[in-house]
Amino acid sequence: MTYTTFNREHFNATQEPMFFGRNVNVSRYDVQKYPIFEKLIEKQLSFFWRPEEVDLSTDRRDFAALPDHERHIFLSNLKYQTLLDSVQGRSPNVALLPIVSLPELETWIETWAFSETIHSRSYTHIIRNIVTEPARIFDDIVTNEAITKRARDITRYYDALIEGVSLYHQLGEGKHTVNGEDIIISITDLKRRLYLTVVSVNVLEAIRFYVSFACSFAFAERSTMEGNAKIIKLIARDEALHLTGTQHILQLLADGKDDPEMAVIARELKDQARQIFIDAAEQEKDWADYLFRDGSMIGLNRDILGQYVEYITNQRMVAVGFEPAFAIKQNPLPWMNSWLNSDNVQVAPQEVEVSSYLVGQIDSEVQSEDFSNFSL
Amino acid sequence: MAHIVKILEGFSFIPRKELTLLEALEQENVDMEYQCREGFCGSCQVTLVDGEVTYTTDPIAFIPEGKILTCCCQLNSDVTIEIPGGCKMKKHNL
Repeated sequence: MTYTTFNREHFNATQEPMFFGRNVNVSRYDVQKYPIFEKLIEKQLSFFWRPEEVDLSTDRRDFAALPDHERHIFLSNLKYQTLLDSVQGRSPNVALLPIVSLPELETWIETWAFSETIHSRSYTHIIRNIVTEPARIFDDIVTNEAITKRARDITRYYDALIEGVSLYHQLGEGKHTVNGEDIIISITDLKRRLYLTVVSVNVLEAIRFYVSFACSFAFAERSTMEGNAKIIKLIARDEALHLTGTQHILQLLADGKDDPEMAVIARELKDQARQIFIDAAEQEKDWADYLFRDGSMIGLNRDILGQYVEYITNQRMVAVGFEPAFAIKQNPLPWMNSWLNSDNVQVAPQEVEVSSYLVGQIDSEVQSEDFSNFSL
Repeated sequence: MAHIVKILEGFSFIPRKELTLLEALEQENVDMEYQCREGFCGSCQVTLVDGEVTYTTDPIAFIPEGKILTCCCQLNSDVTIEIPGGCKMKKHNL
């Protein structure tokens, strides 16, 4: 079952499941099994932005004026965000493209991963601007215990899927001996790995990212590091779209119309999937301990961030049909909503860059009531 | 014709008809979750217990059955909604 970059079979792609069907051949979007992915692609394209558009010159001064423990918070948060986007910039491509079977979903995955690379580039833009030796920060991402501990959990489901799929492509289903070890390759097992991977990606985008956004916006709430917050707003807008994408994929997998076996797997793995959410919440709370180890900042401390982790985890669990895990009901960071809303920047009108514009897009639909107040 | 919004375990009100449901709820000082306000993030969803709404733009967010996205819908009839986590009022900073 080797992967082929252009499947020469003649078949109707709309009859294929999302994953583990035939490899995609023609990238065509005239007929689509799930038009939602096309809508996601169009939305993502309309969001296109470049980090250099955001002016960070005041951030350099702001950063120099921060006390040491706040610099630790800011930089650690930035390192974590860099890690998350390093993973997300490549993993959807490496893990999902070899097994995807629908052209519109394939293109969504590519578009999605591409936008993550913009995020990675913006972290470099930020770091280059505030410190003289960016290398020290980037190097720490792979050596810092607090960060690598979390990297393991973020990547293990991806890695398990990638390993399984590459063995499958090489050897096919059945019992094999690889490096003296007996292994059994089955599509059902790969589908299980896929389901857990998508759940863990949803957790990454819907919980882990939002916790890091809270830290970024906490600085801007105090009118410091505002350029950074502007970039994070753009990133948050992209992430909201990505998490919608993974929620749709999870839902389509679970409802069984796409692939009946996936529905069975989703039911079987429900507890394990739920546990991924809960474990991530606990890790994020541990991370809060590390962030605030030398002291809190005005407006945000370990406890409040911990409550936010629980609150956002509940919300995300409910969104994909799981029972919430924590008791908290009220958002402990009420200012998050207005920061997350990307069109909420108040600037002079001549300086406004409306952040969601569609090039060449007009509403050309005219109804007869549009002329209702016309008279001849 | 004006329609009535009834919030379960909350109160009822008549919104101005040009507002989206989210805007109408905010005008009544209900503390609502939101992020994108244009139908792709899914933060502002509530349960539609009774009644009917129309979407002003097609939502992209995943909306489970029985839920509606308040940022991009308007009322078609009297509606009863349930806000996740209950109907909480905004605290005012004085």
